[in-house]
Amino acid sequence: MTDRADQLVTGDRIELRFPARGDLIVLARLVTSAISARAGFDIEELEDLRLAVGELCLLTLHGSDERYGDLCLELTVLGDAIGVVCTLERAAATDVPAPEGDEIARLSEQILDALVDEHGRESQDGSVRAWLRKCRGGHAG
Amino acid sequence: MDQEFQIEERAGTAPPVIAVSGEIDVATAPQLRECLHRVIAQGDSTIVLDLLGVTFLDSTALGVLVGALKRCREVGGDLHVVVADPRIVKIFEITGLTNVFTIADSLQAAGAS
Repeated sequence: MTDRADQLVTGDRIELRFPARGDLIVLARLVTSAISARAGFDIEELEDLRLAVGELCLLTLHGSDERYGDLCLELTVLGDAIGVVCTLERAAATDVPAPEGDEIARLSEQILDALVDEHGRESQDGSVRAWLRKCRGGHAG
Repeated sequence: MDQEFQIEERAGTAPPVIAVSGEIDVATAPQLRECLHRVIAQGDSTIVLDLLGVTFLDSTALGVLVGALKRCREVGGDLHVVVADPRIVKIFEITGLTNVFTIADSLQAAGAS
Protein backbone atom coordinates (compact mmCIF):
# COMPACT_ATOMS: atom_id res chain seq x y z
CA MET A 1 0.00 0.00 0.00
CA THR A 2 1.01 3.65 -0.04
CA ASP A 3 2.65 5.87 2.56
CA ARG A 4 -0.47 8.06 2.64
CA ALA A 5 -3.49 6.30 4.08
CA ASP A 6 -5.98 8.34 2.03
CA GLN A 7 -4.42 7.81 -1.40
CA LEU A 8 -3.90 4.92 -3.75
CA VAL A 9 -1.13 4.75 -6.34
CA THR A 10 -0.06 2.58 -9.23
CA GLY A 11 -0.11 -1.09 -8.38
CA ASP A 12 -2.45 -0.82 -5.42
CA ARG A 13 -5.11 -3.52 -5.72
CA ILE A 14 -8.33 -4.07 -3.81
CA GLU A 15 -10.41 -7.24 -3.89
CA LEU A 16 -14.05 -7.70 -2.95
CA ARG A 17 -15.77 -11.08 -2.95
CA PHE A 18 -19.45 -11.65 -2.29
CA PRO A 19 -22.23 -14.14 -3.14
CA ALA A 20 -23.26 -13.67 -6.78
CA ARG A 21 -26.57 -11.99 -6.07
CA GLY A 22 -27.82 -8.92 -7.88
CA ASP A 23 -28.98 -7.22 -4.69
CA LEU A 24 -25.38 -7.20 -3.44
CA ILE A 25 -24.01 -5.31 -6.46
CA VAL A 26 -24.53 -2.17 -4.40
CA LEU A 27 -21.43 -3.29 -2.46
CA ALA A 28 -19.35 -3.18 -5.65
CA ARG A 29 -20.63 0.33 -6.38
CA LEU A 30 -19.81 1.55 -2.88
CA VAL A 31 -16.28 0.15 -2.98
CA THR A 32 -15.72 1.61 -6.46
CA SER A 33 -16.71 5.08 -5.26
CA ALA A 34 -14.27 4.91 -2.36
CA ILE A 35 -11.41 3.53 -4.46
CA SER A 36 -11.95 6.00 -7.32
CA ALA A 37 -11.86 8.98 -4.96
CA ARG A 38 -8.63 7.74 -3.38
CA ALA A 39 -7.11 7.21 -6.84
CA GLY A 40 -7.67 10.85 -7.80
CA PHE A 41 -10.75 10.61 -10.03
CA ASP A 42 -13.01 13.68 -9.97
CA ILE A 43 -16.65 13.50 -8.92
CA GLU A 44 -18.03 13.09 -12.46
CA GLU A 45 -15.54 10.34 -13.29
CA LEU A 46 -16.29 8.71 -9.95
CA GLU A 47 -20.02 8.64 -10.73
CA ASP A 48 -19.27 7.20 -14.18
CA LEU A 49 -17.12 4.46 -12.65
CA ARG A 50 -19.74 3.67 -10.00
CA LEU A 51 -22.37 3.14 -12.71
CA ALA A 52 -19.95 1.30 -15.01
CA VAL A 53 -18.85 -1.18 -12.35
CA GLY A 54 -22.48 -1.92 -11.50
CA GLU A 55 -23.08 -2.63 -15.19
CA LEU A 56 -19.96 -4.79 -15.34
CA CYS A 57 -21.32 -6.90 -12.47
CA LEU A 58 -24.72 -7.17 -14.19
CA LEU A 59 -23.07 -8.30 -17.42
CA THR A 60 -21.03 -10.86 -15.52
CA LEU A 61 -24.18 -12.25 -13.90
CA HIS A 62 -26.22 -12.15 -17.12
CA GLY A 63 -27.73 -15.58 -17.81
CA SER A 64 -26.42 -17.15 -14.62
CA ASP A 65 -28.28 -18.69 -11.71
CA GLU A 66 -27.93 -16.44 -8.66
CA ARG A 67 -28.08 -19.43 -6.33
CA TYR A 68 -24.56 -20.43 -7.30
CA GLY A 69 -21.15 -18.87 -7.28
CA ASP A 70 -19.26 -15.91 -5.96
CA LEU A 71 -18.59 -12.60 -7.60
CA CYS A 72 -15.00 -11.40 -7.24
CA LEU A 73 -14.20 -7.78 -8.00
CA GLU A 74 -10.58 -6.66 -8.41
CA LEU A 75 -9.79 -2.95 -8.72
CA THR A 76 -6.24 -2.02 -9.65
CA VAL A 77 -4.75 1.46 -9.90
CA LEU A 78 -2.81 1.66 -13.19
CA GLY A 79 -1.14 5.04 -13.43
CA ASP A 80 -3.84 7.45 -14.61
CA ALA A 81 -6.36 4.64 -14.95
CA ILE A 82 -8.30 2.12 -12.93
CA GLY A 83 -8.67 -1.44 -14.13
CA VAL A 84 -11.59 -3.48 -12.86
CA VAL A 85 -12.02 -7.22 -13.33
CA CYS A 86 -15.23 -8.92 -12.30
CA THR A 87 -15.19 -12.72 -12.18
CA LEU A 88 -18.07 -15.07 -11.55
CA GLU A 89 -16.70 -18.35 -10.28
CA ARG A 90 -18.66 -21.63 -10.32
CA ALA A 91 -21.27 -20.10 -12.63
CA ALA A 92 -24.39 -22.07 -13.52
CA ALA A 93 -26.78 -21.14 -16.33
CA THR A 94 -30.25 -20.14 -15.16
CA ASP A 95 -33.40 -21.98 -16.25
CA VAL A 96 -35.49 -18.86 -15.71
CA PRO A 97 -34.23 -15.88 -17.74
CA ALA A 98 -34.66 -12.52 -16.01
CA PRO A 99 -37.43 -10.27 -17.36
CA GLU A 100 -36.02 -7.96 -20.04
CA GLY A 101 -32.67 -9.78 -19.58
CA ASP A 102 -31.36 -9.40 -23.13
CA GLU A 103 -32.54 -5.78 -23.31
CA ILE A 104 -30.74 -5.04 -20.02
CA ALA A 105 -27.52 -6.66 -21.29
CA ARG A 106 -27.70 -4.52 -24.44
CA LEU A 107 -28.19 -1.39 -22.33
CA SER A 108 -25.26 -2.39 -20.09
CA GLU A 109 -23.02 -2.66 -23.15
CA GLN A 110 -24.14 0.78 -24.35
CA ILE A 111 -23.46 2.34 -20.94
CA LEU A 112 -20.00 0.79 -20.78
CA ASP A 113 -19.23 1.87 -24.35
CA ALA A 114 -19.99 5.46 -23.35
CA LEU A 115 -18.39 5.63 -19.91
CA VAL A 116 -15.14 3.66 -20.01
CA ASP A 117 -12.14 3.47 -22.28
CA GLU A 118 -12.12 -0.31 -22.72
CA HIS A 119 -14.28 -3.21 -21.65
CA GLY A 120 -14.87 -6.86 -22.48
CA ARG A 121 -16.46 -10.11 -21.37
CA GLU A 122 -15.49 -13.75 -21.78
CA SER A 123 -16.63 -17.07 -20.38
CA GLN A 124 -14.60 -20.22 -20.04
CA ASP A 125 -14.74 -23.46 -18.07
CA GLY A 126 -17.69 -22.48 -15.89
CA SER A 127 -16.51 -19.00 -15.01
CA VAL A 128 -17.37 -15.61 -16.49
CA ARG A 129 -14.94 -12.72 -16.55
CA ALA A 130 -15.75 -9.12 -17.47
CA TRP A 131 -13.33 -6.23 -17.29
CA LEU A 132 -13.01 -2.49 -17.87
CA ARG A 133 -10.41 0.22 -17.83
CA LYS A 134 -11.12 3.90 -17.30
CA CYS A 135 -8.59 6.70 -17.50
CA ARG A 136 -8.60 9.92 -15.48
CA GLY A 137 -9.44 12.88 -17.69
CA GLY A 138 -9.98 10.50 -20.61
CA HIS A 139 -12.36 10.75 -23.50
CA ALA A 140 -14.94 8.31 -22.16
CA GLY A 141 -17.95 9.70 -20.34
CA MET B 1 -26.19 8.27 2.67
CA ASP B 2 -28.37 7.51 -0.34
CA GLN B 3 -32.06 8.17 -0.14
CA GLU B 4 -34.19 5.10 0.54
CA PHE B 5 -36.06 3.64 -2.45
CA GLN B 6 -39.74 4.55 -2.43
CA ILE B 7 -42.66 4.39 -4.87
CA GLU B 8 -45.70 6.61 -4.49
CA GLU B 9 -48.83 6.33 -6.60
CA ARG B 10 -50.49 9.74 -6.58
CA ALA B 11 -54.25 9.40 -6.56
CA GLY B 12 -56.59 11.66 -8.46
CA THR B 13 -54.30 12.77 -11.24
CA ALA B 14 -54.88 12.34 -14.94
CA PRO B 15 -52.83 10.73 -16.30
CA PRO B 16 -51.78 8.81 -13.18
CA VAL B 17 -48.44 9.80 -11.65
CA ILE B 18 -46.02 7.28 -10.17
CA ALA B 19 -43.26 9.00 -8.22
CA VAL B 20 -40.04 7.15 -7.47
CA SER B 21 -37.20 8.22 -5.20
CA GLY B 22 -33.87 6.74 -4.20
CA GLU B 23 -31.84 4.22 -6.19
CA ILE B 24 -33.45 2.07 -8.92
CA ASP B 25 -31.22 -0.92 -9.54
CA VAL B 26 -31.40 -4.68 -9.86
CA ALA B 27 -32.56 -4.92 -6.24
CA THR B 28 -35.39 -2.37 -6.45
CA ALA B 29 -36.41 -2.42 -10.13
CA PRO B 30 -38.75 -5.43 -9.66
CA GLN B 31 -40.92 -3.31 -7.33
CA LEU B 32 -41.16 -0.63 -10.00
CA ARG B 33 -41.97 -3.24 -12.68
CA GLU B 34 -44.78 -4.66 -10.53
CA CYS B 35 -46.21 -1.19 -9.86
CA LEU B 36 -46.13 -0.12 -13.53
CA HIS B 37 -47.65 -3.38 -14.76
CA ARG B 38 -50.41 -3.19 -12.16
CA VAL B 39 -51.34 0.39 -13.11
CA ILE B 40 -51.38 -0.51 -16.82
CA ALA B 41 -53.49 -3.61 -16.08
CA GLN B 42 -55.99 -1.38 -14.26
CA GLY B 43 -56.66 0.36 -17.57
CA ASP B 44 -54.40 3.38 -17.48
CA SER B 45 -52.64 3.37 -20.83
CA THR B 46 -50.69 6.60 -20.27
CA ILE B 47 -48.59 7.09 -17.15
CA VAL B 48 -46.37 9.90 -15.90
CA LEU B 49 -43.32 8.47 -14.17
CA ASP B 50 -41.80 11.07 -11.84
CA LEU B 51 -38.08 10.31 -11.42
CA LEU B 52 -37.19 13.72 -9.92
CA GLY B 53 -36.23 12.06 -6.62
CA VAL B 54 -34.13 9.30 -8.17
CA THR B 55 -30.45 9.40 -7.20
CA PHE B 56 -29.20 6.40 -9.19
CA LEU B 57 -30.51 4.35 -12.09
CA ASP B 58 -28.95 1.40 -13.92
CA SER B 59 -29.68 -0.75 -16.98
CA THR B 60 -32.08 -2.92 -15.00
CA ALA B 61 -34.23 0.13 -14.30
CA LEU B 62 -34.05 1.19 -17.95
CA GLY B 63 -35.08 -2.31 -19.00
CA VAL B 64 -38.15 -2.08 -16.76
CA LEU B 65 -39.04 1.32 -18.25
CA VAL B 66 -38.65 0.04 -21.82
CA GLY B 67 -40.85 -2.96 -21.01
CA ALA B 68 -43.51 -0.72 -19.47
CA LEU B 69 -43.36 1.66 -22.43
CA LYS B 70 -44.05 -1.25 -24.82
CA ARG B 71 -47.07 -2.28 -22.72
CA CYS B 72 -48.41 1.28 -22.67
CA ARG B 73 -48.05 1.64 -26.43
CA GLU B 74 -49.68 -1.74 -27.07
CA VAL B 75 -52.86 -0.32 -25.52
CA GLY B 76 -52.59 3.04 -27.26
CA GLY B 77 -50.90 5.00 -24.49
CA ASP B 78 -47.47 6.28 -23.54
CA LEU B 79 -45.03 6.47 -20.66
CA HIS B 80 -43.93 10.03 -19.89
CA VAL B 81 -40.71 10.24 -17.91
CA VAL B 82 -39.94 13.26 -15.72
CA VAL B 83 -36.25 13.66 -15.01
CA ALA B 84 -34.09 16.69 -14.24
CA ASP B 85 -30.88 15.49 -12.54
CA PRO B 86 -28.13 15.77 -15.20
CA ARG B 87 -26.58 12.48 -14.04
CA ILE B 88 -29.86 10.65 -14.65
CA VAL B 89 -30.54 12.47 -17.93
CA LYS B 90 -27.05 11.44 -19.08
CA ILE B 91 -27.94 7.74 -18.68
CA PHE B 92 -30.99 8.18 -20.92
CA GLU B 93 -28.83 10.05 -23.44
CA ILE B 94 -25.98 7.54 -23.68
CA THR B 95 -28.42 4.67 -24.18
CA GLY B 96 -30.34 6.55 -26.87
CA LEU B 97 -33.53 6.44 -24.83
CA THR B 98 -34.12 10.18 -25.09
CA ASN B 99 -35.33 9.31 -28.60
CA VAL B 100 -37.61 6.56 -27.31
CA PHE B 101 -39.32 8.07 -24.28
CA THR B 102 -41.30 11.26 -23.96
CA ILE B 103 -39.04 13.02 -21.45
CA ALA B 104 -39.90 16.20 -19.54
CA ASP B 105 -38.08 18.12 -16.84
CA SER B 106 -41.17 18.86 -14.73
CA LEU B 107 -44.51 17.30 -13.95
CA GLN B 108 -46.23 20.26 -15.56
CA ALA B 109 -44.27 19.78 -18.78
CA ALA B 110 -45.19 16.08 -18.72
CA GLY B 111 -48.87 16.98 -18.72
CA ALA B 112 -49.65 15.84 -15.18
CA SER B 113 -52.53 17.75 -13.67
